[in-house]
Order: sequence, then C-alpha cells, then structure tokens
Amino acid sequence: MSELDILFYILSSMSVLFGALVVLTSSPIYSSLYLVMSMLSVAGIFMTLNAPFIAGIQIIVYAGAVLVLFVMVLMLFDLKRETKAFTKGRFSGFLKLVGAGLLCGFIAGAAYESVSLIMATSEEIPTNIAAAAETGFSPTTNSIKEISKLLFTKYLFAFEVLGLLLLVVPIGAVALSRVAGGTHAKH
Amino acid sequence: MGSDVFEISVNFVKMVAIFLLMVNLVPMLVWVERRGSAFIQNRFGPNRVGPLGLIQLAADAIKFLFKEEFIPPKGNKALFLIAPIIALIPGAIAFGSIPLSVPIEISAFEMFGSQWGPYVFPFQSFEIGIGIVFVLGVSSLGAYSMLLAGFGSANKYSLYGALRASAQMISYELAMGLAIVGILIVYGTFDFAEMIAAQQGPLSIPLFEADHVVNKILGILPNWGVFYQPVGFILLFVSVFAETNRLPFDLPEAESELVAGYHTEYGGIKMNMFYIGEYGHMMVASALIAVFYFGGYSLGTTLDTILVEGTIVPNMSALFASLLNLFGSGWEQSTNLINVVRAFVFHGIFMAKILLFLWIFVWVRWTLPRFRYDQLMDLGWKTMLPWALANTIITAFLMLFLR
Amino acid sequence: MQSTEALVSVGLNHYLVLSALLFTIGSLGVLLRKNMIVILMSIELMLNAVNISFVAFATYLDNLDGKIMVLFVMTIAAAEAAVGLALAVNIFKNFREVNIRFFEHLRG
Repeated sequence: MSELDILFYILSSMSVLFGALVVLTSSPIYSSLYLVMSMLSVAGIFMTLNAPFIAGIQIIVYAGAVLVLFVMVLMLFDLKRETKAFTKGRFSGFLKLVGAGLLCGFIAGAAYESVSLIMATSEEIPTNIAAAAETGFSPTTNSIKEISKLLFTKYLFAFEVLGLLLLVVPIGAVALSRVAGGTHAKH
Repeated sequence: MGSDVFEISVNFVKMVAIFLLMVNLVPMLVWVERRGSAFIQNRFGPNRVGPLGLIQLAADAIKFLFKEEFIPPKGNKALFLIAPIIALIPGAIAFGSIPLSVPIEISAFEMFGSQWGPYVFPFQSFEIGIGIVFVLGVSSLGAYSMLLAGFGSANKYSLYGALRASAQMISYELAMGLAIVGILIVYGTFDFAEMIAAQQGPLSIPLFEADHVVNKILGILPNWGVFYQPVGFILLFVSVFAETNRLPFDLPEAESELVAGYHTEYGGIKMNMFYIGEYGHMMVASALIAVFYFGGYSLGTTLDTILVEGTIVPNMSALFASLLNLFGSGWEQSTNLINVVRAFVFHGIFMAKILLFLWIFVWVRWTLPRFRYDQLMDLGWKTMLPWALANTIITAFLMLFLR
Repeated sequence: MQSTEALVSVGLNHYLVLSALLFTIGSLGVLLRKNMIVILMSIELMLNAVNISFVAFATYLDNLDGKIMVLFVMTIAAAEAAVGLALAVNIFKNFREVNIRFFEHLRG
C-alpha cells in the first residue's frame, strides 16, 4: 500500500462520512459546516488524482465562496431546528436508512463493475490506461498551460457562453433581491 | 517528506521552525504597533516593563493565559470554541507555501560514519506547484472563523459584526484576485520561485535594444514587478487591508459601533488566537506583496552579486567558520557552509521587506479614519472592481504587443 | 487474489465507487429532506460527486477534456447556488417558512 492509497482511503471515508452527515443532521447550520468539510476532503482527493489546479479552484470557488454564502444566509434566517428531520414522516427512520443503504450498495456495485465493461467494449481505452499507468501520469500533460490552450481553442464557444451566463446570473440575483427604492432609500 | 532520515528530520524541523517564526513574530508586531502608534500619536507607549517595554508582551501573554474562560450560556458551545482555531489555520498554512529564501543545496558529506547524499532543501514548509492559487483559496477560508464566532456568541452585535466582516472579505477577494491575475499575465506562472527568478536583472523596455539610452537610464532600477503593474500594486495593497479587517476597513471591529464586533464575547487565550490569525494574515499579505512586486528575496542582479555574493556572504561564512572552530576543530569554509549562510542572508533581506510592509500596515492604521460600511462596499464593488478589470485588459493587450 | 488486490492498490474503480456513493447520498438528501436550503446543499454534493468522476476519468485515460468539464460544472454550480439562494431569501421574506411541505399546494 503506497502512501497515496492510504491518503485516498482516509480522504474518501472523510468525504462520504461528512456527506452523509449533511443529509442526516437536523440543524441546517451544522449541515453546511459538514458540507464545507466534505468539499475540503474532495479537494484532497483531487490532489491525489494529480490535479492540483482543480483542487485549488475547488477550495477557492466552493469552500471559499459558495459555502460562505450558504452559511451567511443560514445565519440570517435563524431557523429553528428541524426536529427529527430525517426520521419523521410516513416511513420510520430505520426503513429509510435500510432503503438508502440498499440503494447506495446497488449503485456503488454497478459503478465498480462498470469499469470492466468499459474495458471490454472498447479497444483504445485499455491501452490508454496501461500507457498512463506506465508513465505514471506525467505532469506535462496535466499542466495548466495545456488546459488553457484547450479552453481557448476547442471549447471556445462554451467558454464564451459561460461568460455570458456569469453576466446574466448576478443581474438576475440582484433583480430578485431588489428593495423598492434601492439600498440607500429610507423605509 | 524525504528519502532518508537526515532529509526527513531536516524537513520536519523546517516546518516547525517556519510555523514558530510566524507565531513568534506576532508579539513583536504587537509591540511595534503599541510603541509605533504611541510615537505617531505623540505619547509614550508601554515603557515600564523591561527595556523599551519589550517584556510587556510576555506579561500580556501570561495575563491572557490565566484569564477566566467564559462561554456564553445561550450560545453554541461547539462553534464558539472552534472559531479561534479556524482563525489560526489559514495564515499558518499559507505562510508555509511561500518561499522565504533561495533553496539550500547541500552536496554529499560524511557524518557519523556514513555518506549522506546531495540534497536540495527549498526554504519553505512545503512546495506546491500552484502556489498562488493555494494561498488565495486558503485565505478565503478565514471568513468562516468570523461567521462561526459571531454566530456562536448569542449576541446580536456579534452577529452583525460577523456578517459585515465576512461580506467585506468576500467582496474584496474579487479585486485581490483580479490584481493577482494581472501579475499572472506578466509572469506566466503560478509558482513563486519562478516569479522571483523572473524579477532578476535590470529594468528594460523590450521595444528598444539593450544599449538604447532609455534602457541605460532604466537599467539602474531592478526588474521588479511594481514597475510593470503599478495599478495592480495599489489594488492589491488596498485589498489586503480589507481582507485582514485592518483600518481603514475595520468597521466590524469598531468599538464605537459594534462593541468589538465578532469577538465581543471572547477573552483570554481565545481572543489572542484571533489576533495571531489577523497578524498572520497580515504577514502572508506582506510576503505576497514582496514576492509579486518587490522581487522577493533578491535585490536585483547587480546589487545581489556585488553586495551579497561579493562581500556579505564570504565574510559571514568566514565569521561562522571561525566561531565553529572555537567549539570543535576542522570546520573550514566548505561550500555547504557558504550555501547555508547565503540562504540565511537572503532570508534576512526578505524579512526586511516584510517588516517594512508590516510597518506600513501599522502606520496606515493610525493615520487614516475609518470607512463607513456602505462607503466600504461601494469602494469595493464600484471603484476597485472596474479598475481591476481595466488593469487586466490593458495588461493583456500590452503583453500581446510586446512579445 | 483478486479481492485483496482490490483493496491494496487504488484504481479507477475506487474513484467511481466514491463518486457513486456521494451522488446517491446527495440525491437521497434532495428526496428526503424538507428544508429548502438543505436541498440546495445536497445538489452541490451531487455536483461534487460528478466532478470527482470527471477528474478520475481524465487522469486515468490521460485526457484533458475531463478537467475542462470540471471547470464548467463548477462555474455553473456556483451560479445556480447564487440564484437558488436569492430565491430562497425572497421566499423566506414573504412567508417566513423554508419547509417545502408548506408550499405543496399551489394556492392564491
């Protein structure tokens, strides 16, 4: 077991544990804080996958901006605890947990077996994986310069549309939360 | 961490030493702040305890350690206790990824009867290829400490202070990020060491040849980033004031408005941890400004070769060799000793630049009045963001035409 | 033996299983929780799981397109979170309730 394997197991169990706690906790603020921990573990997993730039972007965008927004909104709301949020309802909590566990098991097993299916039905993918495993995921193909070259040539249209989306969304958010008369008006 | 015992132990000691450097610089900064503010305000600072009042900080630290631990009964105990710890962590981690000096190259030597091979020790806690993205991400995690502190103390004023502080922090991260994008366009790399290496040599405009008269005049100045990105320097400088909640942007901590903002209910060592976090953040910001705009640990090639390599390093290594000869025998000026001394001399230059910027932080704090909160947010969104965008566009155009 | 080898060295399978687990947990959160903000957070969890899957494939197939998709997914997730939170704040201002059971019947 190399160190990367141990790191992967620790980080993945952390992210699954915190992800499960997000869904199971009654208080929404604790949910958001567990989600922050899960995002940081996922950033660590990106590091083990030899993608340090994506890990950095994950910390900046998700853990550092989007979730800060979530936590701020939750603190403004001051909600009461949703008593027994997961277990209340027509089905008992135990039944929900068993059903959830079965569903997780089915989908995880399907994902595990799918790789051999992919390898069996295509010719070039197994050779790619073998070649990549031999060279040890050379960092030159994963550098940021290569990513930006692709972004500006092959995916240029999607990049520009994304810029347009990022223009439209703040305008929409501001329009949704506008107060009559502007923020400096007297109420 | 390393391949054999020597390397692992040296790396471990280096990590601990850099963390302790950051933490121990904080009491000195507090002393500088108190004496410096007194000097600016034409009064004495603390000057009773020890010579020049230097022991005052140790006395304060001991006082903080013995204060009563108070947890607000209606507040959220877990969040209240975790918030100061989260305030410490981003500054410490970010400081560890900035190179503080040249890497130390040690050639093969013999000790305790076995051969230890050649090593290269980078003068930082850990090396990450994406330096600046990591520092930016980790410092944006500092917003959580404010939010948790404000929410965990069951106090309306704390909550208002926390929300204002975190909103201010994420607003100024935009201008900071865009100023850093300007630097990335100029240097083309995320790595700090490569940025410092690109700032060697004399300043020159690539349009003219090397011995044109304009280039000869400009050649006196070193090739620092501040001459390439003056607007970016001003933007980054102002943004880090807002990021660290420092005057003139410290409305969330204003005594007249919000008692003490998000750390109203804190006392004792927990309050001290907030201060260590704030000063640590200031140190990271000063280090970033020194690396991006002022050449990091180098002084420009001519001064480097003349001053440092020519005179200081050989003299200091001779001094050290003679000092060590007092203890044992057989220490001569080997290249290893010269390399180590060279790294520490450059580290001294870097620390001098960081201390200069920290003094400017303290100076500005006691000179300018405080911004009102809506003036602050207007400045961040309506003034600095357009300037930062214009800076990025103009830099991109100029880089395209000059290369 | 195949079973112990699967535990010892981490391959593409493991990352896909992790991604599937996180996705399932997120979708269960969307289906079973009643607080609107927690539903939005579970959607973020699902998008994260998809990101892991993309980057795993990009690394193991030596292809850079996966990482570019991750950039797009992150941007869109952030934009959608912003709009979702703006809507949630508006709803809370008008009704003082974020429990979705309150809004089950379209009324008035």
